[in-house]
Amino acid sequence: MLKNSLLAFALCGLVAAGPCMAHAKLQSSSPADNAHLTEAPKTLTLKFSEAAQLAVLKLVRDGKEVPVPLDKSAKASQTFTLTLPALSPGNYTVQWAAVAADDGHVTKGSFVFSIAA
Amino acid sequence: MEISGWDVAAVFAKAVTYAATFGAAGAVFFSLYCGPLLRDQQRGLIRRLIAILVGAAAAASVLRILLLAGSMSGEMAGMFNSTFANMILGAGEGRASGVRIVGLALILFALSKHPVFRGAAIVGAMAASTSFAWVGHIHGLVPNTAPSLLLCLHLLCAAFWLGALPPLLIIATGAHEPQIAAAAARFGKLALRVVALLIAAGASLLLILIGSAAQFWASDYGRMMAIKLLVVAALLSLAAWNKLALTPRLLRGDARAMVKFRRSLLAEMSVGALILLTTAAFTTLTGPP
Repeated sequence: MLKNSLLAFALCGLVAAGPCMAHAKLQSSSPADNAHLTEAPKTLTLKFSEAAQLAVLKLVRDGKEVPVPLDKSAKASQTFTLTLPALSPGNYTVQWAAVAADDGHVTKGSFVFSIAA
Repeated sequence: MEISGWDVAAVFAKAVTYAATFGAAGAVFFSLYCGPLLRDQQRGLIRRLIAILVGAAAAASVLRILLLAGSMSGEMAGMFNSTFANMILGAGEGRASGVRIVGLALILFALSKHPVFRGAAIVGAMAASTSFAWVGHIHGLVPNTAPSLLLCLHLLCAAFWLGALPPLLIIATGAHEPQIAAAAARFGKLALRVVALLIAAGASLLLILIGSAAQFWASDYGRMMAIKLLVVAALLSLAAWNKLALTPRLLRGDARAMVKFRRSLLAEMSVGALILLTTAAFTTLTGPP
Protein backbone atom coordinates (compact mmCIF):
# COMPACT_ATOMS: atom_id res chain seq x y z
CA MET A 1 0.00 0.00 0.00
CA LEU A 2 2.75 2.40 1.08
CA LYS A 3 4.93 1.47 -1.91
CA ASN A 4 1.99 1.91 -4.31
CA SER A 5 1.18 5.33 -2.85
CA LEU A 6 4.79 6.43 -3.15
CA LEU A 7 4.98 5.20 -6.75
CA ALA A 8 1.79 7.05 -7.68
CA PHE A 9 3.08 10.17 -5.97
CA ALA A 10 6.42 9.99 -7.77
CA LEU A 11 4.69 9.48 -11.12
CA CYS A 12 2.54 12.56 -10.46
CA GLY A 13 5.75 14.48 -9.78
CA LEU A 14 7.34 13.17 -12.99
CA VAL A 15 4.35 14.07 -15.11
CA ALA A 16 3.55 17.42 -13.54
CA ALA A 17 7.01 18.89 -12.91
CA GLY A 18 8.37 21.15 -15.60
CA PRO A 19 12.01 21.31 -16.63
CA CYS A 20 14.40 21.98 -13.80
CA MET A 21 16.69 24.98 -14.26
CA ALA A 22 20.32 24.56 -13.33
CA HIS A 23 22.35 27.25 -11.57
CA ALA A 24 22.09 30.75 -13.02
CA LYS A 25 24.46 30.54 -15.98
CA LEU A 26 25.52 33.46 -18.12
CA GLN A 27 23.78 32.86 -21.44
CA SER A 28 25.04 35.89 -23.30
CA SER A 29 26.57 39.29 -22.77
CA SER A 30 27.03 42.53 -24.62
CA PRO A 31 29.87 43.07 -25.35
CA ALA A 32 30.17 39.35 -26.02
CA ASP A 33 33.03 37.19 -24.76
CA ASN A 34 36.20 37.83 -26.85
CA ALA A 35 34.53 40.71 -28.72
CA HIS A 36 36.89 43.13 -30.47
CA LEU A 37 35.19 46.51 -30.56
CA THR A 38 36.09 49.53 -32.63
CA GLU A 39 34.43 51.95 -30.24
CA ALA A 40 33.78 51.95 -26.50
CA PRO A 41 30.43 50.45 -25.41
CA LYS A 42 28.15 52.68 -23.38
CA THR A 43 26.43 49.82 -21.55
CA LEU A 44 27.22 46.30 -20.36
CA THR A 45 24.44 43.70 -20.54
CA LEU A 46 24.44 40.27 -18.92
CA LYS A 47 21.70 37.73 -19.63
CA PHE A 48 21.35 34.71 -17.33
CA SER A 49 19.61 31.36 -17.83
CA GLU A 50 17.27 32.12 -14.92
CA ALA A 51 16.38 34.99 -12.58
CA ALA A 52 19.30 35.91 -10.33
CA GLN A 53 20.70 38.71 -8.23
CA LEU A 54 23.92 40.17 -9.52
CA ALA A 55 26.18 40.35 -6.47
CA VAL A 56 29.56 41.21 -7.97
CA LEU A 57 30.55 42.92 -11.18
CA LYS A 58 34.17 43.95 -11.66
CA LEU A 59 35.51 45.53 -14.82
CA VAL A 60 39.29 45.25 -14.91
CA ARG A 61 41.73 46.84 -17.39
CA ASP A 62 45.47 46.15 -17.06
CA GLY A 63 44.98 44.91 -13.50
CA LYS A 64 43.11 48.06 -12.44
CA GLU A 65 39.43 48.06 -11.60
CA VAL A 66 37.19 50.42 -13.53
CA PRO A 67 34.30 51.40 -11.26
CA VAL A 68 30.87 50.38 -12.60
CA PRO A 69 27.81 51.32 -10.52
CA LEU A 70 25.85 48.18 -9.50
CA ASP A 71 22.58 48.29 -7.57
CA LYS A 72 22.95 45.27 -5.29
CA SER A 73 19.49 45.81 -3.82
CA ALA A 74 17.85 45.41 -7.25
CA LYS A 75 15.27 42.63 -7.60
CA ALA A 76 16.27 39.34 -9.16
CA SER A 77 16.20 39.44 -12.95
CA GLN A 78 17.40 37.45 -15.95
CA THR A 79 18.94 40.49 -17.64
CA PHE A 80 21.09 43.25 -16.18
CA THR A 81 22.10 46.35 -18.11
CA LEU A 82 24.71 48.57 -16.50
CA THR A 83 25.86 52.00 -17.63
CA LEU A 84 29.58 52.09 -18.30
CA PRO A 85 31.89 55.08 -17.81
CA ALA A 86 33.87 56.33 -20.82
CA LEU A 87 36.25 53.45 -21.58
CA SER A 88 39.63 53.96 -23.17
CA PRO A 89 41.11 51.49 -25.69
CA GLY A 90 42.54 48.27 -24.19
CA ASN A 91 41.73 44.78 -23.00
CA TYR A 92 38.98 44.40 -20.43
CA THR A 93 37.95 41.53 -18.18
CA VAL A 94 34.46 41.36 -16.67
CA GLN A 95 34.18 39.28 -13.48
CA TRP A 96 30.74 38.53 -12.13
CA ALA A 97 29.02 36.57 -9.34
CA ALA A 98 25.27 35.91 -9.10
CA VAL A 99 22.85 34.21 -6.73
CA ALA A 100 20.03 32.22 -8.37
CA ALA A 101 16.69 33.52 -7.12
CA ASP A 102 14.91 30.18 -6.80
CA ASP A 103 17.62 27.77 -5.67
CA GLY A 104 20.02 30.14 -3.89
CA HIS A 105 23.13 28.83 -5.62
CA VAL A 106 26.11 31.07 -6.27
CA THR A 107 27.63 31.11 -9.75
CA LYS A 108 30.69 33.02 -10.90
CA GLY A 109 32.43 33.66 -14.14
CA SER A 110 34.35 36.08 -16.31
CA PHE A 111 34.67 37.12 -19.93
CA VAL A 112 36.88 39.46 -21.90
CA PHE A 113 36.51 42.08 -24.63
CA SER A 114 38.81 44.60 -26.17
CA ILE A 115 38.47 48.10 -27.58
CA ALA A 116 40.74 49.00 -30.51
CA ALA A 117 42.84 52.15 -30.31
CA MET B 1 34.14 23.40 -14.21
CA GLU B 2 36.50 25.64 -12.23
CA ILE B 3 36.69 24.88 -8.52
CA SER B 4 38.15 27.44 -6.12
CA GLY B 5 39.31 27.01 -2.54
CA TRP B 6 36.09 28.75 -1.47
CA ASP B 7 34.04 26.13 -3.31
CA VAL B 8 35.94 23.29 -1.61
CA ALA B 9 35.45 24.89 1.81
CA ALA B 10 31.72 25.42 1.11
CA VAL B 11 31.35 21.76 0.07
CA PHE B 12 33.02 20.55 3.29
CA ALA B 13 30.87 22.91 5.41
CA LYS B 14 27.74 21.54 3.70
CA ALA B 15 28.88 17.93 4.25
CA VAL B 16 29.48 18.66 7.96
CA THR B 17 26.04 20.33 8.15
CA TYR B 18 24.44 17.22 6.63
CA ALA B 19 26.37 14.82 8.87
CA ALA B 20 25.79 16.69 12.13
CA THR B 21 22.11 17.39 11.41
CA PHE B 22 21.35 13.81 10.32
CA GLY B 23 23.42 12.55 13.27
CA ALA B 24 21.49 14.61 15.83
CA ALA B 25 18.09 13.86 14.25
CA GLY B 26 18.89 10.17 13.76
CA ALA B 27 19.98 9.83 17.40
CA VAL B 28 16.61 11.25 18.48
CA PHE B 29 14.79 8.70 16.25
CA PHE B 30 17.04 5.92 17.56
CA SER B 31 16.25 6.83 21.18
CA LEU B 32 12.57 6.55 20.29
CA TYR B 33 12.56 2.99 18.95
CA CYS B 34 15.55 1.58 20.86
CA GLY B 35 15.07 3.61 24.07
CA PRO B 36 13.70 0.74 26.18
CA LEU B 37 16.77 -1.37 25.29
CA LEU B 38 19.24 1.28 26.50
CA ARG B 39 20.95 1.54 29.86
CA ASP B 40 21.18 4.85 31.72
CA GLN B 41 24.87 5.24 30.89
CA GLN B 42 24.18 4.68 27.17
CA ARG B 43 21.28 7.16 27.26
CA GLY B 44 23.65 9.70 28.81
CA LEU B 45 26.26 9.13 26.10
CA ILE B 46 23.66 9.48 23.34
CA ARG B 47 22.35 12.70 24.91
CA ARG B 48 25.92 14.06 25.00
CA LEU B 49 26.37 13.05 21.35
CA ILE B 50 23.13 14.87 20.43
CA ALA B 51 24.31 18.07 22.18
CA ILE B 52 27.65 18.01 20.35
CA LEU B 53 26.04 17.34 16.96
CA VAL B 54 23.44 20.09 17.42
CA GLY B 55 26.24 22.59 18.12
CA ALA B 56 28.27 21.34 15.13
CA ALA B 57 25.26 21.50 12.78
CA ALA B 58 24.42 25.08 13.82
CA ALA B 59 28.05 26.21 13.52
CA ALA B 60 28.52 24.54 10.11
CA SER B 61 25.28 26.10 8.81
CA VAL B 62 26.49 29.60 9.73
CA LEU B 63 30.01 28.91 8.40
CA ARG B 64 28.61 27.75 5.06
CA ILE B 65 26.69 31.01 4.56
CA LEU B 66 29.85 32.99 5.38
CA LEU B 67 31.87 30.86 2.92
CA LEU B 68 29.30 31.32 0.14
CA ALA B 69 29.38 35.08 0.75
CA GLY B 70 33.19 34.98 0.62
CA SER B 71 33.14 32.96 -2.59
CA MET B 72 31.25 35.73 -4.39
CA SER B 73 34.09 38.20 -4.14
CA GLY B 74 36.85 35.66 -3.63
CA GLU B 75 38.09 37.71 -0.67
CA MET B 76 37.97 37.20 3.11
CA ALA B 77 36.17 40.54 3.46
CA GLY B 78 33.31 39.09 1.40
CA MET B 79 32.52 36.66 4.23
CA PHE B 80 31.40 39.56 6.37
CA ASN B 81 29.68 41.57 3.63
CA SER B 82 26.08 41.89 4.82
CA THR B 83 24.79 42.55 1.26
CA PHE B 84 26.19 39.22 0.03
CA ALA B 85 24.89 37.39 3.12
CA ASN B 86 21.43 38.93 2.64
CA MET B 87 21.35 37.84 -1.01
CA ILE B 88 22.13 34.24 -0.04
CA LEU B 89 19.66 34.26 2.86
CA GLY B 90 16.96 35.88 0.72
CA ALA B 91 17.31 33.30 -2.07
CA GLY B 92 16.11 30.42 0.11
CA GLU B 93 19.15 29.59 2.21
CA GLY B 94 17.74 31.81 4.98
CA ARG B 95 14.48 29.84 4.98
CA ALA B 96 16.34 26.51 5.10
CA SER B 97 18.81 27.64 7.77
CA GLY B 98 16.00 29.14 9.86
CA VAL B 99 14.00 25.91 9.84
CA ARG B 100 17.20 23.96 10.64
CA ILE B 101 18.15 26.19 13.59
CA VAL B 102 14.62 25.98 15.05
CA GLY B 103 14.65 22.20 14.52
CA LEU B 104 18.05 21.86 16.17
CA ALA B 105 16.86 23.97 19.12
CA LEU B 106 13.87 21.65 19.55
CA ILE B 107 16.16 18.60 19.36
CA LEU B 108 17.83 19.92 22.51
CA PHE B 109 14.66 18.91 24.37
CA ALA B 110 15.98 15.35 23.94
CA LEU B 111 18.63 16.25 26.54
CA SER B 112 15.90 16.30 29.18
CA LYS B 113 15.20 12.98 30.86
CA HIS B 114 11.51 13.87 31.10
CA PRO B 115 9.43 11.99 28.49
CA VAL B 116 7.09 14.99 28.06
CA PHE B 117 9.78 16.75 26.00
CA ARG B 118 10.27 13.77 23.66
CA GLY B 119 7.56 14.98 21.28
CA ALA B 120 9.24 18.36 20.82
CA ALA B 121 12.58 16.67 20.13
CA ILE B 122 11.01 14.40 17.48
CA VAL B 123 9.33 17.38 15.75
CA GLY B 124 12.70 19.15 15.87
CA ALA B 125 14.49 16.13 14.41
CA MET B 126 12.00 15.98 11.53
CA ALA B 127 12.24 19.74 10.89
CA ALA B 128 16.05 19.81 11.02
CA SER B 129 16.58 16.79 8.77
CA THR B 130 14.09 18.04 6.14
CA SER B 131 15.36 21.65 6.29
CA PHE B 132 17.60 20.99 3.26
CA ALA B 133 14.46 20.67 1.12
CA TRP B 134 13.67 24.36 1.65
CA VAL B 135 16.35 25.40 -0.81
CA GLY B 136 18.04 23.82 -3.82
CA HIS B 137 17.48 22.54 -7.30
CA ILE B 138 13.91 21.33 -6.83
CA HIS B 139 12.84 24.94 -6.29
CA GLY B 140 13.49 25.50 -9.99
CA LEU B 141 10.69 23.04 -10.82
CA VAL B 142 7.13 24.14 -11.52
CA PRO B 143 5.16 22.79 -9.67
CA ASN B 144 7.51 21.53 -6.98
CA THR B 145 5.18 20.17 -4.27
CA ALA B 146 5.59 16.48 -5.15
CA PRO B 147 9.40 16.72 -5.61
CA SER B 148 9.67 18.67 -2.33
CA LEU B 149 7.75 16.00 -0.44
CA LEU B 150 9.83 13.25 -2.06
CA LEU B 151 13.00 15.07 -1.02
CA CYS B 152 11.67 15.44 2.56
CA LEU B 153 11.02 11.68 2.64
CA HIS B 154 14.51 10.99 1.23
CA LEU B 155 16.10 13.24 3.87
CA LEU B 156 14.10 11.75 6.76
CA CYS B 157 15.10 8.23 5.71
CA ALA B 158 18.76 9.30 5.38
CA ALA B 159 18.68 10.79 8.90
CA PHE B 160 17.05 7.62 10.25
CA TRP B 161 19.67 5.36 8.67
CA LEU B 162 22.93 7.32 8.96
CA GLY B 163 21.98 8.89 12.29
CA ALA B 164 21.45 5.49 13.90
CA LEU B 165 25.04 4.38 13.29
CA PRO B 166 26.80 6.42 16.06
CA PRO B 167 24.26 5.35 18.78
CA LEU B 168 24.61 1.72 17.60
CA LEU B 169 28.38 2.07 17.94
CA ILE B 170 27.94 3.45 21.47
CA ILE B 171 25.93 0.35 22.38
CA ALA B 172 28.35 -1.97 20.57
CA THR B 173 31.30 -0.50 22.49
CA GLY B 174 30.09 -1.09 26.01
CA ALA B 175 27.39 -3.72 26.06
CA HIS B 176 26.95 -7.49 26.01
CA GLU B 177 25.97 -9.46 22.93
CA PRO B 178 22.27 -9.88 23.78
CA GLN B 179 21.70 -6.12 24.13
CA ILE B 180 23.64 -5.34 20.96
CA ALA B 181 21.82 -8.09 19.09
CA ALA B 182 18.43 -6.78 20.27
CA ALA B 183 19.25 -3.18 19.23
CA ALA B 184 20.73 -4.28 15.88
CA ALA B 185 17.73 -6.49 15.17
CA ARG B 186 15.23 -3.73 16.02
CA PHE B 187 17.11 -1.19 13.89
CA GLY B 188 17.56 -3.71 11.05
CA LYS B 189 13.85 -4.52 10.94
CA LEU B 190 12.88 -0.86 10.57
CA ALA B 191 15.85 -0.03 8.34
CA LEU B 192 14.73 -2.52 5.71
CA ARG B 193 11.58 -0.49 5.01
CA VAL B 194 13.25 2.87 5.52
CA VAL B 195 16.08 2.08 3.07
CA ALA B 196 13.51 0.90 0.48
CA LEU B 197 11.69 4.25 0.84
CA LEU B 198 15.01 6.13 0.71
CA ILE B 199 15.96 4.48 -2.58
CA ALA B 200 12.47 4.84 -4.10
CA ALA B 201 12.28 8.55 -3.22
CA GLY B 202 15.87 9.18 -4.39
CA ALA B 203 15.34 7.37 -7.71
CA SER B 204 12.11 9.31 -8.35
CA LEU B 205 13.88 12.61 -7.65
CA LEU B 206 16.71 11.64 -9.95
CA LEU B 207 14.25 10.96 -12.77
CA ILE B 208 12.48 14.25 -12.15
CA LEU B 209 15.69 16.30 -12.03
CA ILE B 210 17.63 14.65 -14.85
CA GLY B 211 14.94 13.25 -17.13
CA SER B 212 16.89 10.80 -19.30
CA ALA B 213 19.91 8.52 -19.26
CA ALA B 214 21.52 10.55 -22.04
CA GLN B 215 21.34 13.73 -19.97
CA PHE B 216 22.57 11.81 -16.92
CA TRP B 217 25.89 10.86 -18.55
CA ALA B 218 26.25 14.10 -20.49
CA SER B 219 26.22 16.36 -17.44
CA ASP B 220 28.67 16.98 -14.56
CA TYR B 221 25.66 16.64 -12.25
CA GLY B 222 24.85 13.16 -13.59
CA ARG B 223 28.45 11.97 -13.49
CA MET B 224 28.89 13.16 -9.89
CA MET B 225 25.57 11.54 -9.02
CA ALA B 226 26.92 8.28 -10.51
CA ILE B 227 29.81 8.41 -8.02
CA LYS B 228 27.29 8.85 -5.20
CA LEU B 229 25.25 5.89 -6.44
CA LEU B 230 28.37 3.69 -6.47
CA VAL B 231 29.15 4.66 -2.86
CA VAL B 232 25.50 4.08 -1.89
CA ALA B 233 25.77 0.57 -3.38
CA ALA B 234 28.83 -0.06 -1.17
CA LEU B 235 26.90 1.13 1.91
CA LEU B 236 23.94 -1.08 1.03
CA SER B 237 26.27 -4.07 0.75
CA LEU B 238 27.75 -3.36 4.17
CA ALA B 239 24.29 -2.90 5.69
CA ALA B 240 23.08 -6.15 4.12
CA TRP B 241 26.12 -8.01 5.52
CA ASN B 242 25.37 -6.48 8.93
CA LYS B 243 21.75 -7.53 8.87
CA LEU B 244 21.98 -10.91 7.17
CA ALA B 245 25.29 -12.24 8.51
CA LEU B 246 26.35 -10.41 11.67
CA THR B 247 23.03 -9.78 13.46
CA PRO B 248 22.02 -13.50 13.43
CA ARG B 249 25.48 -14.37 14.84
CA LEU B 250 25.05 -11.72 17.56
CA LEU B 251 21.61 -13.15 18.39
CA ARG B 252 23.27 -16.58 18.82
CA GLY B 253 25.75 -14.98 21.27
CA ASP B 254 28.82 -15.26 19.03
CA ALA B 255 31.45 -13.05 20.73
CA ARG B 256 33.64 -12.86 17.61
CA ALA B 257 30.76 -11.32 15.68
CA MET B 258 30.85 -8.37 18.12
CA VAL B 259 34.26 -7.18 16.89
CA LYS B 260 33.18 -7.54 13.27
CA PHE B 261 29.96 -5.68 14.04
CA ARG B 262 31.89 -2.72 15.48
CA ARG B 263 34.23 -2.63 12.48
CA SER B 264 31.29 -2.89 10.14
CA LEU B 265 29.59 0.08 11.87
CA LEU B 266 32.78 2.16 11.57
CA ALA B 267 33.01 1.23 7.89
CA GLU B 268 29.34 2.14 7.36
CA MET B 269 29.92 5.52 9.05
CA SER B 270 32.95 6.21 6.81
CA VAL B 271 31.07 5.27 3.65
CA GLY B 272 28.07 7.32 4.86
CA ALA B 273 30.37 10.34 5.31
CA LEU B 274 31.62 9.84 1.75
CA ILE B 275 28.02 9.83 0.46
CA LEU B 276 27.30 13.10 2.24
CA LEU B 277 30.51 14.64 0.88
CA THR B 278 29.60 13.58 -2.68
CA THR B 279 26.08 14.94 -2.25
CA ALA B 280 27.42 18.24 -0.90
CA ALA B 281 29.79 18.44 -3.89
CA PHE B 282 27.29 17.88 -6.68
CA THR B 283 24.58 20.03 -5.12
CA THR B 284 27.03 22.92 -4.58
CA LEU B 285 29.21 22.77 -7.69
CA THR B 286 26.78 21.61 -10.36
CA GLY B 287 23.11 21.81 -11.27
CA PRO B 288 20.75 19.44 -13.08
CA PRO B 289 21.13 19.56 -16.89
